[in-house]
Amino acid sequence: MARTLMRFTGVGGQGVLLAGEIFAAAKIKNGGNGLKTATYTSQVRGGPTVVDITLDDDEIYYPYANDGEISFMLSVAQVSYDQFKKGVQDGGIIVVDPNLVKPSDEDRKKWNIIEIPIITIAKEEVGNVITQSVVALAIANTIMKPLDREVLIETMLSKVPAKVHDVNKVAYDLGEKYANEAMKK
Amino acid sequence: MATREIISSGNELSALAARDAGCKFFAGYPITPSSEIMHEMSGLMPEIGGACIQMEDEIAGVAAAIGAGMSGLRTMTATSGPGISLKAENLGLAQMTEVPLVVVNVMRGGPSTGLPTRVSQGDVAQAKNPSHGDYKSITLCAGSLAECYTETVRAFNLADRFMQPVFVLLDETLGHMHGKAILPSEEEVAASIVPRKTFEGPAEEYFPYECESDQPAVLNPMFKGYRYHFTGLHHDKRGFPTEEIETCRKLIQRLEDKVELHKDELELYEEFHTDDAEVLLVAYGSVSLAAKEAIKHLRAEGIKAGLFRPITLWPSPADKMKELADRIPKVLCIELNIGQYRDEVQRATGRLDIDGLFKVNGRPISPYEIVNKVKEL
Repeated sequence: MARTLMRFTGVGGQGVLLAGEIFAAAKIKNGGNGLKTATYTSQVRGGPTVVDITLDDDEIYYPYANDGEISFMLSVAQVSYDQFKKGVQDGGIIVVDPNLVKPSDEDRKKWNIIEIPIITIAKEEVGNVITQSVVALAIANTIMKPLDREVLIETMLSKVPAKVHDVNKVAYDLGEKYANEAMKK
Repeated sequence: MATREIISSGNELSALAARDAGCKFFAGYPITPSSEIMHEMSGLMPEIGGACIQMEDEIAGVAAAIGAGMSGLRTMTATSGPGISLKAENLGLAQMTEVPLVVVNVMRGGPSTGLPTRVSQGDVAQAKNPSHGDYKSITLCAGSLAECYTETVRAFNLADRFMQPVFVLLDETLGHMHGKAILPSEEEVAASIVPRKTFEGPAEEYFPYECESDQPAVLNPMFKGYRYHFTGLHHDKRGFPTEEIETCRKLIQRLEDKVELHKDELELYEEFHTDDAEVLLVAYGSVSLAAKEAIKHLRAEGIKAGLFRPITLWPSPADKMKELADRIPKVLCIELNIGQYRDEVQRATGRLDIDGLFKVNGRPISPYEIVNKVKEL
């Protein structure tokens, strides 16, 4: 497998970091290498946060994504979308929550922008807004397919308390469903 | 060598290493980007009958850790640059009284409050001389997730061997990055532990600071029947204050010589494609990761670049740096500060034409910045 670079962005407190850890851990369990790095501001909640995920069969040295090399980005906050979109390669995929991020017409020409109401899905269909990171995880893996679905789900469940396993499985299935529908459009 | 694979962050690995190396006491005060170390220690220490205390501030954090060291325990504190500034006075006390202690500094942007959540290597010069006076810093610098573990283990053994604080420098990138680390087994780490020397004879014949001119003090644990004195003043063989001229001179010279004359026990570095290198990069910590990536790109384009990565920063691997700089024409230091280690490379190599690629805005140096800089040389 060639190197996969993905970027999750949001604001502090939304839980985007966990999704990155799950991706890295699942790749490692599959016998490869995965690294997650996060950058955030000194503002604890509400500051723009970016998580870079590097997956590779070979050794990874530099842990951040180089600008222009990211093939997939997911964003649930305008401030982080604006700040970090430049890292995505031309023609790359950007998934946004359309209630929170409004890409410009220019952006839509440059990138393949997919709109999925991630927060609404988590809040209203799953019934727990915290599951948004798992919805996001499912969307990323369904579109990019870097990892085996079952390994990813198993890794995800190992990182969340047992009492919320069921709700997170629901979140994963919903994220997958919406991603499949969005790709058909 | 038996190994184990762990998926974790640099900070968490440093805490795990402390436990595996026999650390029984942690005291500190949480500070970004080091806080996860204390968080982990608060879980790990009680599990093995040790203790972790959040003190009222940074100063008390190191003071409590030094106290535990005086009682004979393996002890640690963790912080970032602003914390080291506050701890400096007590770090001097530990140098003077020869109390072993591991101090992990996860570097962030400075000076002062700086850039709390951003990466930097601004504390390299500080680690050499955090406190006033003459003494010889021992500073180790991790360059990978696995080394966040192995260098912390090594720091504990060196602290007990040399009887003084030992710094482990991480940086925000290494501390927070999350991935795979291949570590030695717990059994192997346990077997590598060399505890500090103790005096076994009758108490009236015990003089902790009466030692060979190149050897550290022999400090028995307090409260075990061996009575002596700790002071930051110049002191005699029992630890009591003195101004006797020769005693004072010998004491400070010994603090220097116990490290300087045994540098070979401390030296550790990595060479990456230096054999045929025509351009030598010098980098340490997380910057070395970008340098390795850059070297892959440069070599693919036919530019023979190599990396020298000091792991023990202080005392520096000066002889090795000179040997490399004597045969490789172009040398480039890459640092997240304005040349704090380049000064040392210049001193060690006697060359003033060492180039630099420096960044101090809290952002990492990317492999492409390095590639471009090398092409300009």
